[in-house]
Amino acid sequence: MKPTVVKIDNLVKRYGELVALDHFSLEIKEGEIFGLLGPNGSGKTTTINCLLSLLAYDKGEIEVFGREMTPTCYDIKSEIGVIMQNVAVLDELSVRENIDYFCGLYITDKEKRKACVEEAIRFVGLEDFVNFRPAKLSGGLLRRLNIACGIAHKPKLIILDEPTVAVDPQSRNRILEGIQELNRNGATVIYTSHYMEEVEQICTRIAIMDKGRKIAEGTKEELKGMIRNTESVSIEILELPGEIKEKITHLPHVYETEYDGTKLTVRCSGGKHNLIRILAVLQEAELGFGRVYSELPTLNDVFLEITGTALRDSKE
Amino acid sequence: MFLHNLKYEIKLVLRAKSFIIWLMLFPIILGTLFKVAFGSIYQNETFDTIPVAVVKISENEVFDEMLTALTTGEQPALKAISEEEAKAKEMLFDGDVKGILYVGKTVELSVSGRGMTQTILQEIVGRCRVYETVIRDTMATDPSSLEAVIKELSTEVDACREVPVTQGNPDVYVQYFYNLIAMVAICGCNTGLHVSIDNQANQSVVGARKNCSGTPKSINLTAGLIGSCISQGVSMIFCVTFLRFVLQVNFGGNLLLLYLCSVMAGCLGVAMGFFIGSVGRARFEVKVAIAMSISMVLCFMSGLMMGNIKGILAEKAPWANRVNPVAIISDSFYCLNIYSDYRRFLTKVLGMGIYIVIFTILGVLFARRKKYASI
Repeated sequence: MKPTVVKIDNLVKRYGELVALDHFSLEIKEGEIFGLLGPNGSGKTTTINCLLSLLAYDKGEIEVFGREMTPTCYDIKSEIGVIMQNVAVLDELSVRENIDYFCGLYITDKEKRKACVEEAIRFVGLEDFVNFRPAKLSGGLLRRLNIACGIAHKPKLIILDEPTVAVDPQSRNRILEGIQELNRNGATVIYTSHYMEEVEQICTRIAIMDKGRKIAEGTKEELKGMIRNTESVSIEILELPGEIKEKITHLPHVYETEYDGTKLTVRCSGGKHNLIRILAVLQEAELGFGRVYSELPTLNDVFLEITGTALRDSKE
Repeated sequence: MFLHNLKYEIKLVLRAKSFIIWLMLFPIILGTLFKVAFGSIYQNETFDTIPVAVVKISENEVFDEMLTALTTGEQPALKAISEEEAKAKEMLFDGDVKGILYVGKTVELSVSGRGMTQTILQEIVGRCRVYETVIRDTMATDPSSLEAVIKELSTEVDACREVPVTQGNPDVYVQYFYNLIAMVAICGCNTGLHVSIDNQANQSVVGARKNCSGTPKSINLTAGLIGSCISQGVSMIFCVTFLRFVLQVNFGGNLLLLYLCSVMAGCLGVAMGFFIGSVGRARFEVKVAIAMSISMVLCFMSGLMMGNIKGILAEKAPWANRVNPVAIISDSFYCLNIYSDYRRFLTKVLGMGIYIVIFTILGVLFARRKKYASI
């Protein structure tokens, strides 16, 4: 069994009356890409700040690499790489100097540091911009620099707090591929996001948070297995008589139908050939329809079913 | 780790726009403006030959001799224009001459308005009258001693003896340059502010990143403060050098001590900024605004904008000058230049030292927090 890298037990953090973390517990094993998924304000960043010993908490215990995490555990901190939600670089330094500066906070050996810096530059693909100041970089390049500053010292545990916010799709894919590569190279990764597609794409295990509490945890398959929904069928249809909607609702495995005047959504739980049966009902009633598509459940469906609120609605 | 930090702290400060603007360009611009402004004041103090119209009513040989003496030479006191009375009055009205000398048995002066020139003319005429009386008396009583009397009269006798109380330059306008150096020093608070902000997780993202690193906060803070003091010291040396050697401001003979004192003043500015940055939690821009406002008020109170404010404060609230760090800094330069013994200077330097220690200790106490209640 792989050793535990991070253990959070019964963590409570209050901001006055507001409970930011409500008896939150977590265990992350070595080699995982662990996703913390939740809407804005769910407590993801607070968890990370407590984990890094930046934030004082009211109750609970935090262990990193098997030891209690305190602000003065510099040896533990040396093994952690942090990529903040906001870009944390120095405007007066060039790309290379920024990476060298932050790397130098971990590595004292000049030669070793130089090699690490060059490797980090290559890793994030900033070779052509090494002498640029941050102000001259685009948003995507800036994010890459932010990542390079956090991983140059080759940490064993990498914490990424929403690193793809306001990043173009191309840069986002590059960042996600980079994270997977870091993981393949041996790093344990904690990845927080409110973009479920990203979390689904790269995380081996996921905890879903809402209002400071962990509402579900497991692999994406395990999480999807927790809910009734196994398939969502959407059909573009301009006219749907009530009796036909009722008929579809009573088809086998269908547990919910929703019609908004242009689109019919049918949610099914288990079973095969659900789409064929639904279309047969529509054809029998001689109703015309447009695009038809069938979707497997997403983490949003998991969140929706558990909390009654859509995760997507919480996006900025 | 410390040297690595120190190297980058110096780089960061020297490349910061605020540093280049406030601590490098600003003293050049303001110093040059001061020099231009005060240069014209000095020029106004030079004596110019005064044009006068001479209206002859009757012959006066004694005065004619004296007038010849006053209108000749390398820098004559008067430029005499002989005219008819009407024309002379017209010239006086037009401002072509500053006065009219009516030369008869006695000499009378007519001027329009009051001022330095008119006073000088009055003084000249007064003296002439005295000399004329003495010469006439001598001619009447003992003509043989006339030559000796004239010689005596032409010798300047001063009843006062000038005893210098200082070896330095007592020029009052140099005080403005002292205040300028003090202002540059106190503007170092902007640099000190960065040290505090960049090392606190609840004040900046860079601070958060540093607090997550394997380097102890004490090393980051120490390197930041020392780096800032070094950079600030460079700017102080640059400022004094520019004023002394480019603008040729006379700071007296103790230039080395002036350099050391200005570097120490720069450290005081850094320490003050570090303290302001460490107290409370506010946006960086707000803290910069607070620091700059405090700096400007202190500079105003030390007389940077109004030369006599320091004197007013010394009269109405003497404690204000004693606690104002900018006044302490500028006073230290003044004491160094004016007084030949170093007692007053050392008192001011000690005051600066106390401020540096207090600001630094308080700043560290506020900034050393290990964890934050909120970020």
